[in-house]
Amino acid sequence: MVEGLRFMKLSEEMVRVVIEKVKKELGDLVKSVEEGKGYISIKVPLNRLREAAVKLKNMGFDHVKSLTVTDYKKKGVFEVMYMASSYLDEELSRIIVSLTVEIDRNNPRMPSLSDIWTSVEFQEREVYEFFGIHFEGHPDLRPLLLVPDIADLKPLTKDFIVKEEPIFKS
Amino acid sequence: MSLVEVLASIVFYPPIYQLVIVGLIVTLGVVIIILWFERKATARVQRRLGPYHVAPKLAGMPQLLADLLRYAFQEIIIPRTVDRGVFITAPIIATVLSILPIAVVPFTSIPDYWPIPMDYSVLVALAISTVSPIFLVLAGWASNNKFSIIGGVREAFIITAYELIAILSILSVSAATLSFNFIDIVNAQMNTAWFIILNPIAFMAAFLAVLMSTSGFPFEIPESENEVVAGPFTEYSGILYGLNMGAAYMKRFAFSIILAVAFLGGWSPLTPGEGILYGYLLPSIVVIIKAFILMMVFSFLRSVYGRYRLDQALQGAWRLVFPMALIGFGIGIIEAYLGLT
Amino acid sequence: MSVSVIGGPKRESDLKIPGTEVRKIEKDLYEVFIGPQHPGSGHMRIIIRVDGDVIVEADPDMGYVHRTMEKLGEIRQYIKNIPLFERMAIQDACNVTVPYVLALEKILDIEPPQRAKYLRSLLCEINRIAAHLYGFGIFGVFIGHSTMYMWAFADREVMVELAEKLTGARLTHSYPIPGGARRDMPQDFPQAARKAARYMRRRLEEYRKIFLDNPVMKARMEGVGYIPKKLAAELGVVGPVARASGIKYDARYNDPYDAYDEVDFEIPVFEEGDALARAWVKVEEIKQSLRIIEQAVDWLESHTSEAPIHDKFWAKSPPLWKKVFEKEGRVKLLPMMATMKIPPGKAFARGETARGEIVYYVESTGDSIPYRVRIVSPSARNAIVFKYVVPGHRVMDLPTIYGSIDYFPPEADR
Repeated sequence: MVEGLRFMKLSEEMVRVVIEKVKKELGDLVKSVEEGKGYISIKVPLNRLREAAVKLKNMGFDHVKSLTVTDYKKKGVFEVMYMASSYLDEELSRIIVSLTVEIDRNNPRMPSLSDIWTSVEFQEREVYEFFGIHFEGHPDLRPLLLVPDIADLKPLTKDFIVKEEPIFKS
Repeated sequence: MSLVEVLASIVFYPPIYQLVIVGLIVTLGVVIIILWFERKATARVQRRLGPYHVAPKLAGMPQLLADLLRYAFQEIIIPRTVDRGVFITAPIIATVLSILPIAVVPFTSIPDYWPIPMDYSVLVALAISTVSPIFLVLAGWASNNKFSIIGGVREAFIITAYELIAILSILSVSAATLSFNFIDIVNAQMNTAWFIILNPIAFMAAFLAVLMSTSGFPFEIPESENEVVAGPFTEYSGILYGLNMGAAYMKRFAFSIILAVAFLGGWSPLTPGEGILYGYLLPSIVVIIKAFILMMVFSFLRSVYGRYRLDQALQGAWRLVFPMALIGFGIGIIEAYLGLT
Repeated sequence: MSVSVIGGPKRESDLKIPGTEVRKIEKDLYEVFIGPQHPGSGHMRIIIRVDGDVIVEADPDMGYVHRTMEKLGEIRQYIKNIPLFERMAIQDACNVTVPYVLALEKILDIEPPQRAKYLRSLLCEINRIAAHLYGFGIFGVFIGHSTMYMWAFADREVMVELAEKLTGARLTHSYPIPGGARRDMPQDFPQAARKAARYMRRRLEEYRKIFLDNPVMKARMEGVGYIPKKLAAELGVVGPVARASGIKYDARYNDPYDAYDEVDFEIPVFEEGDALARAWVKVEEIKQSLRIIEQAVDWLESHTSEAPIHDKFWAKSPPLWKKVFEKEGRVKLLPMMATMKIPPGKAFARGETARGEIVYYVESTGDSIPYRVRIVSPSARNAIVFKYVVPGHRVMDLPTIYGSIDYFPPEADR
């Protein structure tokens, strides 16, 4: 064992400092910033997503924890969030920065970030099968968990309604 | 001649006694008991009970008989894609060949009770023992299954590694006694000391070689379950699978007998006397007991070690055990030169 | 909407069920399917291509135990998701569900009482030890060491029984709920916990003797599955895998939750990055977990018993509920909890399970069911190791790597 880490309390201020740093780094790429609970969502334009990702990566956000897609059927968009954080930089590791883009629900295509963040490769495959979002430039875009004919149904979109046994439902 | 004498002369007719009685019946019994011992000892180490429910009073010993019966009456499934002839014959030949060395190992110094009297019994026993692994490779190849082939290839790799070691280390005894005859070897040991004391390095090398040849832990590589299912035997079922599994133990028993005679003094504390009882039966029992103790040591290693990786096993064999065998051989020559034996 | 999944292939892509399609592979390569009906693979398949004995390409094919957790999460009430999600890793039930509960608490903007925090952390650590022992057992049998397997599984029983004493269930405790925990600690628990800790420490020493310092096992593990620090960060591996590669990251430390900011513990970090280091990380983590258990038990013993649930819920409880708590130490669930509406909001929470970090993203629209639940489990993130680390190793190293990253298919497939 190299060393044991000692616990250090996370303060609000430290988070704030990091947020400011990220905002400064991304500069004009930021469309809007939304502070969620436990993460910061930074909206960027779709066509400049890769640029923003490279900048975040260079800042030290070295991996993506979760590629979260939410289907807003009423708005007609998929909200795609790359929730990135850091392993090597302890300061950054305390916060989660989400690069958020909205893409058209009917024509779900967007650039792949798997060449920037390798850690997102499998998650992009997962999103591809569950939402049908096509990641352009992904090296190996195949379904990951589902068989292709089930993946065709895009099970995690709000169009897919889980059928339940009708005994207890009128 | 009374009936008993007639029966005794049939039973103790050396080829029948050594091939049928010892070679088949005793081997089967030893294999069953050793399997039971292996399971029970491992269970003891691992804080379990082991076989128990078939006759708890006998500590579950008949469990293995039950298993044997199950194998015997299980349906043999032969996949359509295999090479039928080889698929069926390979395990049978391998089993037969693996107990055949017993036929040339004498159990007594009385010439009447030698199955095949000859001066080169060490060489012949070793030569026969080297044939059976080929059929295991063949079984794997005939199965036409990727896991079988990988297992067969591993088996082949292991053969190349242990064969030379086994032969060299056992021949070191011949070098020391200037004889290829087991009788001379045992007599030499009775005059001085057992070869396990005179030449422990050769014994160690031979021990490891036997462990490798019968895929005992830590060299249980060709059949390693987590990588290649059952290695060469993946496609086998029923009694053919039982034969395959049993063949390794039978071979281990045959090798143990060779080791017992070559290194552990054979029938040593006992000087064969006149008659069947003192001249043949008792000496053979001594040899079998010695072999059995060796088998128990082999079996116990299962609960201590995992398995080596193939390349590590080969590396260990060539870099460590092979020089050991060479040194053992050298010690044998030096002992012969000094006239210790 | 009616959907039919039965029927012939519609397009050419439909034929591409992994493993069934006809693919061209290079000459001299040999394609071997490890799994899913394979003694050494668990519920997953790894398609490897070997050149001789060396793997040149590995393609993990997961999803054999996919249970649509995310979709089911969207059609069930908030509280029903807790028993659902803990099915991902039943021997690690509390660790897996705590982040979900944390996310809900973030949206509800409530903080559980201190006692509940300690209780949750206590169960989390018990679960962590049980899961590590489970992983150890599987690892042991993967590389042919059946004694390690049996020992680890036998000793796991101690932890499982401890969890039963605390929660009433051996596995799938459904212990944490938004705002607290479901049971208080029984009177005789501290003694049992301390005894178990003493026993476990003694056993760890035996493990070291038979497994970690066993020359054969050491030869199998040393230098195998080496992940350099940079690669580990790049692949985003989690938990013991990351910490064995020198990454100082633990969700309990970097984003503390529950009682972890009050107890004293260390996070073991190794630099070697191989299978042996990963095994050692687990051993050291078990030691730290035992420390946490002892501290938590001490704290719980020295503080007076109170209902381990937030006042928001406890104040509304009828007298019968309070009587049950006094008598049995059990917090009866309020009926309103089942249909509890959660205010609109989005929350992200992370927690450290035995196998690594699990993250939840929960989105609420003010309904009684979540709008979206996103789960990324540790094994799902570690699966990428198969693709990027396994090539270049020998076939016999595959079980070593598989076992050392403690990959758990039900958790990875969700």
